[in-house]
Amino acid sequence: MAAGFVHYFSRCPKKRQGRREDVPLPHDSKRKPSVRQAEGRSVRRGIYVFPVSATMRPIAVPTGRTEGQVSGSSEGKIEGSMTEARSAKPALLEVQELKTGFQTERGWAWAVNGVSFSIERGKTLCLVGESGCGKTVTGLSILRLVPSPPGRIVSGRIRLDGTELLDLPEKDMRRIRGNRISMIFQEPMTSLNPVFTVGSQVEEAIRLHQKVSRGEARKRAIEMFGRVGLPSPEQTIRDYPNQLSGGMRQRVMIAMALSCHPDVLIADEPTTALDVTIQAQILDLMSALQKQMGMAILFITHDLGIVAQIADEVAIMYAGKIVEHAPVVDLYDRPRHPYTVGLLRSVPKPRLGEGERRRLDAIPGAVPDLARLPAGCSYQDRCPWVFEKCRREEPPLLAAGQGTAAGRRRSACWRWEDL
Amino acid sequence: MSDPTEVLVEVRDLKKHFPARAGLFRKPRRYLKAVDGVSFVIRKGETLGLVGESGCGKTTLGRTLLRLVEPTSGSVRFEGVEITSLPRAELRKMRRQMQMIFQDPYSSLNPRMTAGAMIEEGLIVHGQGNKRERKERVAELLHLVGLSPRDAGKYPHEFSGGQRQRVGIARALALVPKWIVADEPVSALDVSIQAQILNLLVELQESFGLTYLFISHDLRVVEHVSDRVAVMYLGRIVELARSQALYARPRHPYTQMLLASLPLPDPRRRGRPAVVGDVPSALSPPAGCPFHPRCSSSMETCREVSPEMVEVEPDHFVACHLHAREQQRPGSP
Repeated sequence: MAAGFVHYFSRCPKKRQGRREDVPLPHDSKRKPSVRQAEGRSVRRGIYVFPVSATMRPIAVPTGRTEGQVSGSSEGKIEGSMTEARSAKPALLEVQELKTGFQTERGWAWAVNGVSFSIERGKTLCLVGESGCGKTVTGLSILRLVPSPPGRIVSGRIRLDGTELLDLPEKDMRRIRGNRISMIFQEPMTSLNPVFTVGSQVEEAIRLHQKVSRGEARKRAIEMFGRVGLPSPEQTIRDYPNQLSGGMRQRVMIAMALSCHPDVLIADEPTTALDVTIQAQILDLMSALQKQMGMAILFITHDLGIVAQIADEVAIMYAGKIVEHAPVVDLYDRPRHPYTVGLLRSVPKPRLGEGERRRLDAIPGAVPDLARLPAGCSYQDRCPWVFEKCRREEPPLLAAGQGTAAGRRRSACWRWEDL
Repeated sequence: MSDPTEVLVEVRDLKKHFPARAGLFRKPRRYLKAVDGVSFVIRKGETLGLVGESGCGKTTLGRTLLRLVEPTSGSVRFEGVEITSLPRAELRKMRRQMQMIFQDPYSSLNPRMTAGAMIEEGLIVHGQGNKRERKERVAELLHLVGLSPRDAGKYPHEFSGGQRQRVGIARALALVPKWIVADEPVSALDVSIQAQILNLLVELQESFGLTYLFISHDLRVVEHVSDRVAVMYLGRIVELARSQALYARPRHPYTQMLLASLPLPDPRRRGRPAVVGDVPSALSPPAGCPFHPRCSSSMETCREVSPEMVEVEPDHFVACHLHAREQQRPGSP
């Protein structure tokens, strides 16, 4: 756990707040922030102050809920409000022109470069793309958990039920994290603290956001463990993470994330580290809980099989930008961006005949360096449809629908009609 | 492809039991049966896929076959030569013929060696060529796996995940092996890069007549590359068949469950049958058929008797009591 921790911190005359947690180096993109960073709350684990970047105006009018209103409020207002047509009512979570970058030796790398989307209550949006395309950073930006430095949310709007999250003071933001917006991470092994029982970690999350006694928190933790299908909850809450299997740990993470009945759940590749059988169980569990609790889910994944099973809408990300956004059925029926076409074709499919040639339509090349994107479309070097305009002008994300799908889907390709 | 009936590797009743000690000086009381009586053959020029959930013993089996891990008992014959009892020096010579590609392209390469040095290392160990010839060979290998000869001077951190895996493949190919054990070679890669590496492996197989043991937990990938597929559960092979037959008509309830839990890339066909349970601990596997606690059609015999491998149709072996009744003829895969 302590690997990479700044050991010199306690003696350093130049120490600063926010530096204490290990700060990944610019090139160290494989690292995911631990849950300690994510929750940013525990007294036992030390308090981390996330510096509010210079561009964020601190406004002292939090319109978020306070503790008393938390439980139960997400139930009841589930179905009805989500009509197909975009009503005047704003979506539950709205992200507009979000731009998050990391300062590297070679200049700014824009991991999220003008991303906009919205999710309604009870719906699932899948954010799809290869590693390094900005999926995770988008999720972290919503919770304002981008490690800073070297990262920084430079501009954009993130509205939760009308509240502008980027303007909230850190104190109020902390009330939102884990309470109204929760996040589940890819590695259930590293997101749990090995020296506390899983029960105490879930109770801590509950007690932090809700004014309840220890006994009550324990009761709720046990109830939550039961709901996520952990066997004998009274026993399991006394277990340490190492005593549980990967699937059970991920269930604990889900129990922790849902313990405060969040409005939005951000799930960052929650099943990538699990076996298919366990993955199927976790996905079923998540959709069952979504039906019960009516939360919106932002599901980050690179597995197009999962996307087909759980998404309502899909946003395909490439090099920090959304390149296609569509309802799930339309996307699989007729992809409107060459990258989506490539992704769908690279998935191994059942073979038909005995002697069939075993070649996949791979996407040539690799993801470009975010700090050195080419002029024009960032997908140009891997695209079989590329033409001269792609190298000059960057295609904007525009409506790309025909017939019934018109207006419901967008593509960032000059040639979407030719695909 | 060469004669499909010619056997390259023959495995008989292979076992690898790890002692689980209660304390440093205590005698082991229990054993973790990672590989518990596995028999199969790998034919020349084919790809045998090996699937199973994590902890089922896939990786240990792969390593035991190459004697990177010493087997507890059983036999492994490579071109008729018994590997398990070979003296060290002989084994080293044998290793030229059999190589391994590892899962994690981030940890299987030495961060302090250049790609060229790592590929060349095997050539030096086996005393092949002089310095100049070796350098040429390295350049040739890099070209073969789709890298540039200039990449020889680069260190692992300068490569992307897919490129590192290419270096790993070049290293495995350096000594022109006949047999490659590929342990989850694409699991750590993105789909688009995964497809590139899979294509490369298939191309290399075609041009060099390689034989693969392809270990993976990804059923779709295994189906794509394999001629035959073995399904492993708690240290044993429960089903072994031609790829098409296995995916079209899985016989073992475990195989059926695995296939049912695959998320289909089709948003119109949603909903899967419920999957139950977790893999039990290999330290205390259930008595009888190891799968019976999770099996929907388990019978009384399943709790007591461990099922034998039975050939239910030509080239399709299943270890399940449901099928043992149909056909009593015990077969050896």
